[in-house]
Amino acid sequence: MIERAAKIFALLRRRRGAAPIVPEKSVAGRTLLLMITIMSFLSAVTLGGVVLVQKSAIAWSSDVGRELTIQIRPVEGEVMESNLRTAVSLAQTTPGVASARALTIEESQQLLEPWLGAGLDLTAIEIPRLVVVQLADPVDADIEGLTRNLQAIEGASLDTHAAWRQQLNTMAGTIVLSGLMVLALIGVATVLAIIFATRGAMASNREIVDVLHYIGASNRFIAGEFQGRFLSIGLQGGLLGAAATLLFFAVISTAAGNVLSSEAGAQMGVLFGRFALGIDGLIGIVAVIPVIAALTAITSRMTVRRYLSETS
Amino acid sequence: MIEFSDVGLRYGNGPEILRDLTFSIEPGSFHFLTGPSGAGKTSLLRLLLLSLKPSRGKVTMFGEDVSDLSQDRLLQMRRHIGIVFQEFRLLDHLTTFENVALPLRVLGQAESEYRPNVTELLEWVGLGERMNALPSLLSGGEKQRAAIARAVIARPKVLLADEPTGNVDPELSSRLVHLFAELNRTLGTTIILATHELPLLDKFSYPRMLLSKGELVIHD
Repeated sequence: MIERAAKIFALLRRRRGAAPIVPEKSVAGRTLLLMITIMSFLSAVTLGGVVLVQKSAIAWSSDVGRELTIQIRPVEGEVMESNLRTAVSLAQTTPGVASARALTIEESQQLLEPWLGAGLDLTAIEIPRLVVVQLADPVDADIEGLTRNLQAIEGASLDTHAAWRQQLNTMAGTIVLSGLMVLALIGVATVLAIIFATRGAMASNREIVDVLHYIGASNRFIAGEFQGRFLSIGLQGGLLGAAATLLFFAVISTAAGNVLSSEAGAQMGVLFGRFALGIDGLIGIVAVIPVIAALTAITSRMTVRRYLSETS
Repeated sequence: MIEFSDVGLRYGNGPEILRDLTFSIEPGSFHFLTGPSGAGKTSLLRLLLLSLKPSRGKVTMFGEDVSDLSQDRLLQMRRHIGIVFQEFRLLDHLTTFENVALPLRVLGQAESEYRPNVTELLEWVGLGERMNALPSLLSGGEKQRAAIARAVIARPKVLLADEPTGNVDPELSSRLVHLFAELNRTLGTTIILATHELPLLDKFSYPRMLLSKGELVIHD
């Protein structure tokens, strides 16, 4: 596939004008092309992963941020059902609240099942009860007012899930930062590989460089000739890497959909997102192509200029 | 056009390869540069090509002292100098046409601009039929004619030739020197041709510069 793409590019280039002064085969083309393709793939996958994590974290944080939980602990002398009604009423009258609903005793028991097991009769035991509050607008909701009003109910407390959100944001931020660091390291590794490949190409094309010097070519002209070759390799590598990445995400997305049951898939989707890159993720992956090509061209040009100034 | 005054050349801290060279070359002239192997012919040609600077003395080319020139100016001056090597130094992956057109590509000309000139010159040196052949398919004489065409395509003021007949038989050597003479006559290019083949020198009456152990012993 790589070879086929390289041939198409070479054909297009030849049609544009005269034969390249730096021969195509001499610039360690195939190895470098493979290396740049791999680096582009790694960069694009990392970028896609970062985008996925960030999107999931934002979506999760936003969902969690739209929900509050009022917990009412059983207190001796207090009537739980009455307190629940009061709490629901207080919540519903708070500005920015869309709805408030007390969980039934059955729903509360279901929440405890993972810890206490199924089949237990909890009617004899007083357990804490929850009121789920949905916010219409998390920014304008009067949460302080609700907290203040709930003080009138003995044993009531309000959980805004702030700690969860903070932990989630910290975790997502760490993953995004790690991804960006990996991207930077891949960039450095790519630059180093291009420098070595360029110096190797210059050494093996010493005769061409000498002849060009003798016929009056400037270092700038010679660097431009080599840059042209490397730009072409960078473009091909970037394109192949980006295509491989899109294929990779398509396969992963399909595989995730097929392997998991629809219920498990839905839960995974809630937790980790849907492996859907979205338009911003696609733009990021496609942007890898010109970035890698430019990186390759600029690095090779600088390396050639330095090599020429060292040797001339 | 070219003036050397007490010029000496050494590589690094080694002994002087060229000593006390003083001579001048007039525009449109033809000179043989001769001497035994190791006499310093190639070093002198490299000085003339501006790829080396003298260790001492003064070299003036086209009215300018070359020792004070910037890289850019040196590059501009080098474009007025053509060079032909014994080993041809054609680029193997380019056709004869592309090799000859190389100096014009370096000058930024488009193929549509230079194609008629290159074609005409190739026909003039007898390579009209071999225009699209790669160097590996050319004979020694054809390669040298292609190298000469490449050296003169940009109309240099000076043409330097370093043992251009070294890899061809005596008959072809003579024909190649005739080609240089023709270039000198028709284009007015100043030619300095280095050779150690004395029989070849005897066939032509051009002035000789004889180098021996780095010194110019004859310059007529």
